[in-house]
Amino acid sequence: MKRKLLFSILLILAMIVSACGGGSGSSGENADGKIVIKYINGFTGGDGEFMKKITNGFNESQDKYVVEESQEKDHYTKFKTGNYDLVLIHSDNLETYRQDNMIQDISSVIETAGISPNDFHPVAKEQVTFENGTFAVPLDIHPMTMFYNKKLSPVAPTTYEEMKTLTDELQAQDPNLFATGIPSAGLGEWFIMTMAAQNGIDMIDGNHVNFAQADLADALMNYNDMIFKDKISPSGLGLDGEFQAFMKQVDEGGSSVQTATALTGPWYYGAVKEAYNDDLGIASAPTLGKEPGVYGGGHTLALPASVQDDEKKAGIAEFLKYMYTPENLINWADSGQAPTHLETMELVEQDAEKYPLAAQNIKQFDTFLGAPKLYQYREQMRYMVENVYPQVIKEGMTKEKLMSELEKAAEQAKQIADTAPQQ
Amino acid sequence: MKKSKTQTAIVVIVASIIALLFLLPLIFMLFTSFKALGEAMSSSALFPKSWTAENYGSILGIGAEVPVLRWLFNTGLVTLAGTALVVFVDVLAAYSLARLNLPGKKFFLSIVVAALTVPGIVTLFPAFYLFRQFQLIDTYAPLVLIYSANTMGVFLIYSFLRGFPKDLEEAAFIDGASVLQILRYVIFPAIRPVVATLSVLTFLTIYNDFLWPSVVTSSDEMKTVTVGVANLVQGANFVNPGRMMAATLVATLPALIIFVAANRYFVRSVVSSGIK
Amino acid sequence: MPFYLTDGGVNGTMKISRTWSLIMYLPFLICFVLFLIVPLVYGLYISLHNWSVFGGNGGFVGLDNYIAILTPGNIYSTAFYLGLKNTLIFVAISVIPLVMISLALALLVDSIPNKLKVYFRTIFFISYAVSVTAVSAIFKWLFTGNGGYVNNVMNTMGLSSINWLNEQPYAWIAILVATVWWTIGFNMILFINALDEVDQTMYEASSLDGANWWEKFSYITFPSIKGVFVFLTIISVIASFNLYGQTLLITAGGPAQSTQSLIMIIQQMVFNQNNLGIGSAMAIIMGMIMMAIVATQYFYSFRKE
Repeated sequence: MKRKLLFSILLILAMIVSACGGGSGSSGENADGKIVIKYINGFTGGDGEFMKKITNGFNESQDKYVVEESQEKDHYTKFKTGNYDLVLIHSDNLETYRQDNMIQDISSVIETAGISPNDFHPVAKEQVTFENGTFAVPLDIHPMTMFYNKKLSPVAPTTYEEMKTLTDELQAQDPNLFATGIPSAGLGEWFIMTMAAQNGIDMIDGNHVNFAQADLADALMNYNDMIFKDKISPSGLGLDGEFQAFMKQVDEGGSSVQTATALTGPWYYGAVKEAYNDDLGIASAPTLGKEPGVYGGGHTLALPASVQDDEKKAGIAEFLKYMYTPENLINWADSGQAPTHLETMELVEQDAEKYPLAAQNIKQFDTFLGAPKLYQYREQMRYMVENVYPQVIKEGMTKEKLMSELEKAAEQAKQIADTAPQQ
Repeated sequence: MKKSKTQTAIVVIVASIIALLFLLPLIFMLFTSFKALGEAMSSSALFPKSWTAENYGSILGIGAEVPVLRWLFNTGLVTLAGTALVVFVDVLAAYSLARLNLPGKKFFLSIVVAALTVPGIVTLFPAFYLFRQFQLIDTYAPLVLIYSANTMGVFLIYSFLRGFPKDLEEAAFIDGASVLQILRYVIFPAIRPVVATLSVLTFLTIYNDFLWPSVVTSSDEMKTVTVGVANLVQGANFVNPGRMMAATLVATLPALIIFVAANRYFVRSVVSSGIK
Repeated sequence: MPFYLTDGGVNGTMKISRTWSLIMYLPFLICFVLFLIVPLVYGLYISLHNWSVFGGNGGFVGLDNYIAILTPGNIYSTAFYLGLKNTLIFVAISVIPLVMISLALALLVDSIPNKLKVYFRTIFFISYAVSVTAVSAIFKWLFTGNGGYVNNVMNTMGLSSINWLNEQPYAWIAILVATVWWTIGFNMILFINALDEVDQTMYEASSLDGANWWEKFSYITFPSIKGVFVFLTIISVIASFNLYGQTLLITAGGPAQSTQSLIMIIQQMVFNQNNLGIGSAMAIIMGMIMMAIVATQYFYSFRKE
């Protein structure tokens, strides 16, 4: 009977479903008697496999512990809703996670591991050091990086003037060629903060990011000039436009525009390398403001507040000890990331041929300025990045109009800062 | 109604042009998926200058970066199980409401109708939070179970049964058939068109849902097609557009094939539905 | 049986035990309570508390969350009103095309000879099989400003490029086109079915009376499909209110937050600001607005009859 069959299939499926509900909780502590360390990060791109190499290496190197690494796109959400023993936190998020009591002081663990904050570049050390302790181990810093197409620009421009000269040359060849691209979204935060760093603007006011500064308005208007006055960048580039315009081929005809350089995130290295091969150059971010300076992100490893078990802490220390051995951490440089661990940095610099991207970005550490340590920093930036910054690069923006927008952004940031838990 | 041949020809031509425009996005997806990275980024011509299958290799090969097949499996499992669950639960409930002797029937019926008006967003985050409390995030449970509170189905079948004569059931009852036998041999064949409609609607709802699965899954292996592809589109890290299109195409193809094959059936089932 | 109920059914000819009735209703009742009533009540409860996704319940605050959202001048109300405004814009621009274009398509398909009909029906319905994320992936690339396919086509026709995704109203147009392409097939199928059930003899009679196409449509066709028409208008309003995937993936809420839909805002409150209390309150307010609009539509459409 067909119907009978259908009916029983329905029944069985319904049972399977309800059975699914019961099982698959979180796994226990021990697998074959080893202590399990659950480590979560967001390395779902090309860098994931290099982190796995380190984790696998550790798991093979001893029998007492096993690190279970999960690489998740939304690793913060997963971290908030799950149970983990080690978590990757971006340096701009550390203050938020610290104030929300989601992570704890890691000092004793790294001491056991034989690691000191002084083993790291001062910029990285500063990022993880708070008034009540050390809340993470620095892993890398990824500053804004300049890629350039050697066919269009044999050497990398380093200043605003050189950018201008380059664009004039390119425009003479083809009106659709430009020196670089300023995107309206994607890396807005990096463009804002790099310009602030290059003009020596202090962005912190108490608990919030202070956008309402005439100096900042002046500095940001540089981008407007780059587009509408000096034609260094084409206008109207959208989300990730700096990268997309760099990848275009202008000889396709039509109205597409191409740029000779891209000021962008180092994670595009794989793509630009594949497209340009030997014609690809890597350089530091040029100085578009008054002084050298560059903004970017950083990865750090933090200890979730829930980890209390001493054996587990010992295991984490053991894992960190393994990871922060230069021969092991060099794998991370192999992925293109620039490690902040001094001994590993040396190793990278000795073999700059093998680690071109990491070696280049290490050079930017001395002028690097990371995110300010503020509660909900990313949310504080949101209005500015999504709403104000796109207007900065629109035609007809003036310093006066920008100032009133900056005041709104500062007010928003302040309100978000005020949602911080009472200490 | 008779129409002249020219009239018909004009209609067909107009329809063909619109049909072509309609297919264009899919054609664009197909051709982009055969472009290599450089070309996909730099050129937006429809046809690839040089064809490459490497995008497909990278998503379907062993150790593929993007587990499209796994996502497809998840979507298949979740949509089938969810649809089966909804149909099973709703048919029984509607029958019980329409025919049987249910205590507090009026009350139950009115909450079913009232629940029809509750928008999904209201229950979504609390439901997420509850599933999280029970450590069920990133399992199949929330992906399937949430759809089971589908009052629409109960309402559809109930309305249908109300208009369906009782004579047959009574005859069967007098002949000594049990409630389950009546349900199986009398009611189920009669309500099959409505059940088909309900299945189609539920299937489509679950298949196309995005917000809920994106909230309750986090690991790559548990994602459904919709969520998996979304990660490719957003890509915090760079994603090759050709590869994205290839993944999207592979993810979409089974559904396309099912739709084309079952098109008549879909249409017929919706015809006889109570949606009027 | 733990609670054996006696046979009832005195009024009907059939006597079926209450136990059986209850057992058959029970699976639904359990699902309904667990996955609808409980979250609903829990959501109300959360919305009256200061509640963090990570930290849990931070204490009862009464209606403070609602007051914060509805009183202008703070971050929550700014976000909420922005999302509401954007969502209403989309509802306003999308419902008419979603219903009217699908009706036009249905009429077109309906007048195609039967042999060919099925192919066209399939083609116009096919896009509904594409998930919202795939739709977004495709349209994001089609509408890319710098040398996207749509701009290329426009250039060859002598038109200048448009910065589709970074300027209004073009960003809305792009999202609208994607949405119409995606969902129109479903609406069309329902219209075709309704058209199939229109009494053919009435057309023939009106032809004899010399009625033109428009007269036939407004006196015969439309009254027969009005039920479906209203139904589709209502579900299109609901669907447009739930705008999420398209704006998240095609424009990422831009330009300048102008396509940030209400659901995107709520999602940010919950997962970025960890504020489940505010998020739940926003969801409940949004739900009430939707219910009010749908109820108005419903009463307005059927009042005259």
